[in-house]
Amino acid sequence: MAARRRLKRVAASQSGFLSFKSPSDTTASVGSRRKRVNKNKKKNWNKYSDVNDVDEFLEDIRHQERTTGGLLSEKTDDSLFFLDLGQPEKPQPQGKLGKASRPLRIDLILQPDSLVPPPKDILAYQQPNAKKLRRIAQKAEQLAAKGVVPRKQKRLLNRRPVDKTVKKAVTEANNNPDRDYYDIWGQELSADPWYLQQTGKKLVKRPEKLNEKPSVLPAVEVIAPGGSYNPDFFSHQVTQNTKFMTSQATCMLLKWYQSIYTLCTFSYFKQVEGLVEEEEENNVEESAPSKEDEEAALAAIAVTQKKTEKQIKKEKAEKLKEQQRLTSRRQTEQQQQLFQLRSIKASIRQQEEKTKSKQMQRRAKQEAQKAQPRRLGKLKFQAPDLDVQLSDELAGSLRQLKPEGSILKDRFKSFQKRNLIEPRERAKFKRKLKVKYVEKRAFKEIT
Amino acid sequence: MGGIQKKKYERGSATNYITRNRARKKLMLSLPDFRRLCILKGIYPHEPKHKKKVNKGSTAPRTFYLLKDIRFLLHEPIVSKFREYKIFVRKLRRAYGKTEWSAVERLKENKPAYKLDHIVKERYPTFIDALRDIDDALCMCFLFSTFARTGKCHVQTIQLCRRLTVEWMNYVIASRALRKVFLSIKGIYYQAEVMGQLITWLVPYQFSHDHPTDVDYRVMATFTELYTTLLGFVNFRLYQSLNLVYPPKKLSALSSSLARVVSSSEEEEAKLDQFPDEEEQKQLETQKKIFEGLKFFINREVPRESLAFVIRCFGGQVSWDKSVCIGSTYDVTDETITHQIVDRPNVDKQYMNRYYIQPQWVYDCVNTKMRLPVEDYFLGVTLPPHLSPFVEEKEGDYVPPEKLKIMALQRGEKPDEEEDEEEEEEEEEDENEEEEDDEEEAEEKNLKKMEEQRSQGKSLQVKVTPGKVKAENRARLEQEEKAEEKRLAIMMMKKKEKYLYDKIMFGKKRQVREANKLAAKRKAHDDAEKAKKKKARK
Repeated sequence: MAARRRLKRVAASQSGFLSFKSPSDTTASVGSRRKRVNKNKKKNWNKYSDVNDVDEFLEDIRHQERTTGGLLSEKTDDSLFFLDLGQPEKPQPQGKLGKASRPLRIDLILQPDSLVPPPKDILAYQQPNAKKLRRIAQKAEQLAAKGVVPRKQKRLLNRRPVDKTVKKAVTEANNNPDRDYYDIWGQELSADPWYLQQTGKKLVKRPEKLNEKPSVLPAVEVIAPGGSYNPDFFSHQVTQNTKFMTSQATCMLLKWYQSIYTLCTFSYFKQVEGLVEEEEENNVEESAPSKEDEEAALAAIAVTQKKTEKQIKKEKAEKLKEQQRLTSRRQTEQQQQLFQLRSIKASIRQQEEKTKSKQMQRRAKQEAQKAQPRRLGKLKFQAPDLDVQLSDELAGSLRQLKPEGSILKDRFKSFQKRNLIEPRERAKFKRKLKVKYVEKRAFKEIT
Repeated sequence: MGGIQKKKYERGSATNYITRNRARKKLMLSLPDFRRLCILKGIYPHEPKHKKKVNKGSTAPRTFYLLKDIRFLLHEPIVSKFREYKIFVRKLRRAYGKTEWSAVERLKENKPAYKLDHIVKERYPTFIDALRDIDDALCMCFLFSTFARTGKCHVQTIQLCRRLTVEWMNYVIASRALRKVFLSIKGIYYQAEVMGQLITWLVPYQFSHDHPTDVDYRVMATFTELYTTLLGFVNFRLYQSLNLVYPPKKLSALSSSLARVVSSSEEEEAKLDQFPDEEEQKQLETQKKIFEGLKFFINREVPRESLAFVIRCFGGQVSWDKSVCIGSTYDVTDETITHQIVDRPNVDKQYMNRYYIQPQWVYDCVNTKMRLPVEDYFLGVTLPPHLSPFVEEKEGDYVPPEKLKIMALQRGEKPDEEEDEEEEEEEEEDENEEEEDDEEEAEEKNLKKMEEQRSQGKSLQVKVTPGKVKAENRARLEQEEKAEEKRLAIMMMKKKEKYLYDKIMFGKKRQVREANKLAAKRKAHDDAEKAKKKKARK
């Protein structure tokens, strides 16, 4: 109500407005005698002064500042208007700024150009104990200027510096490329042997037998002359032939042939055997009639169950006779041996020669065995195939040479040959439990 | 009967051997660890003489080790390192599984490592022992240094092998120890003489890299571990013996010479071979300087390292294109180059005062210990065959004609001018025939003259002069007597003995017969070639 009244009054006082009362109603006295108001008091400032236009004006200004970044009247013509000349004929030159470095028009448009700055976040600047911290810092500065060092810093400075050992494990490893070597054979025992023994650092002596090499073969066997990259014609032929003869395939073929041969000859001999046996029988018959008698006698003795006294006596007499005969034979033999000296000597010599030759053979065999690879373990040593290039594979020059065989494999086999490692095969995947294959139900119906 | 009965397999060879699995359990190691330990310590399985006894009656194939060897292994300090490593792996795996990365870092920094120095000292108590076994070590190191740097084996091992092999090659260059080289289809064989020991090693070609699947890499890596250590110590000692600084710097190019500890006045003193014969020594000295004063340039397509090594071993200077490798001292355009080694059929730009030869010339010169004539090795010429210097021909064996030529050259005779060109041969033959005819004619003429004179009754100019005592070759006479005796003895042999004797001689003469056969074949082959050429010409 008071506001309405105020409004009426303000409206009435302003020049442009018509008073609510009709002009016919208004008396000259009202028009001529306006009530005198005291504008000096603060109370009347709001009541009787009309600031609408100023308000509007200021509002307008603030609005412009907020939204368009400054007063429009103060803006240049170029920023507000542009001359529409139609499509430009040529693309406008970029100038020094290339496309990348020139800012986009839309970015320029969208940038905040209001003169009203965003409000400050006061909380971000507030620190509850800022004064205290400042005081502490000042005090520390003063003390440091005097030379007094706080306890923590003292301890920090006294602490030993950290030795940044760059990966100790790598430098100590055996295959470190930059490792150091020293004269291992020149240095004599640096420490006292008694000390080493007492502290348990003495190394056990290596048994003498371990210093012998396990094989007499040389470490590196040079390839035959036919293995040269540009070989002589006949050496190459010889190497090719040896490779053919010793290769795995030919060995297997030969074995197969042999087995077939033995089968055939076996069957042949069986047929012949019959004939041979008949011949032998005729020869054997005459020389062994006595044997048959003895056999018959033995058979007869085995059959009788009880022996009569007569028979027992008879047997005893026979035994005695035998013994006497034997002793007399022995005697005569001994006497006769004197005359047989020469033949005895000859037979002894023959035996000795036999044993000697056998010994030599055995020794030669042993020597040959030393050069062979020993059987150490489940697998036998498979000699590697000779490396030979066929005649059409031979290269004329070093540039066109295609190397044959792998040295890694060659070295591996050499180690096996010299009994350094046992022959090994790549481990195969063995299944302990069988895999069961089951058809899916869906497919069972189909099939 | 009193007393305890003796039981079988309780004493003797059955108790001296132990099977592999038993040994492994005794040492408390896993099988790969056990294998590694045996390789490092040099303990090898043995094959017992009486397998059945050792195997306690069964014939199952088992690997046996000597019990004393395994007991010796128990005292080895590396065994504890193996066990520590096993624990380390377990802890690391756990840390990875729990994603405790700080623990992983800590563990990795403190990874247990072992050194093999004491093993090397134990296995090779003197330096000469080590030198005797260095063949194997060199082969393995050279082989590993050519491996590609993928993850199959540690990259550090490959780098270490590379360093050691380069050091070794530089030592051989400095001591001029190289004697023989042989290019084979597998690789290059070298032989050097170091401190009286002949050392042979095999280097693979740089461009062959097929990794076969049936080779156990772990075993080879273990061998390499031991051999790198050994080779390092041997290198140190060898460098020390020549008063050179070890480890040398900037070596990989093989072009620079090594720094010396002592002043250069002692350079020429290195007397590695002790020959009582002065002549031989002089010969050796000349042989060591075949390429002295020559300047070589190696083209891109030629194996650079091998050639550089060989040439420098014999006193020559080498260089190569800058883009191939560091360390090239001079360029192609250098005017003082005497020989350029090329492997292509032709070269674009040819300089006047230098020879363009194929690489085989260098190797053949080294093998024959003299500078061979360069004409046979020009570009585009079919090379003579590369003969193996490791073959020693006995009497009666087949010797290829090229080798005969070379031996003739070595003796200093004029090089055979009979080339394989047809026309020249024919000409020569004709000439020979003519010469022979001439000689015959001359003889005939003489005879005719004498006859004429006789018929004419003139006294011949031939006079009866007092007989000269011919200096009887005593040795020859003795030989003849012996031969006669032998013949008599053969005649007097009995049938059986004669039969045996014939058999023996047949066997002995077999080699000679084979050599003759091969020579005949060669001749036939050559004739065939000639005929072919003739036809082509016509």
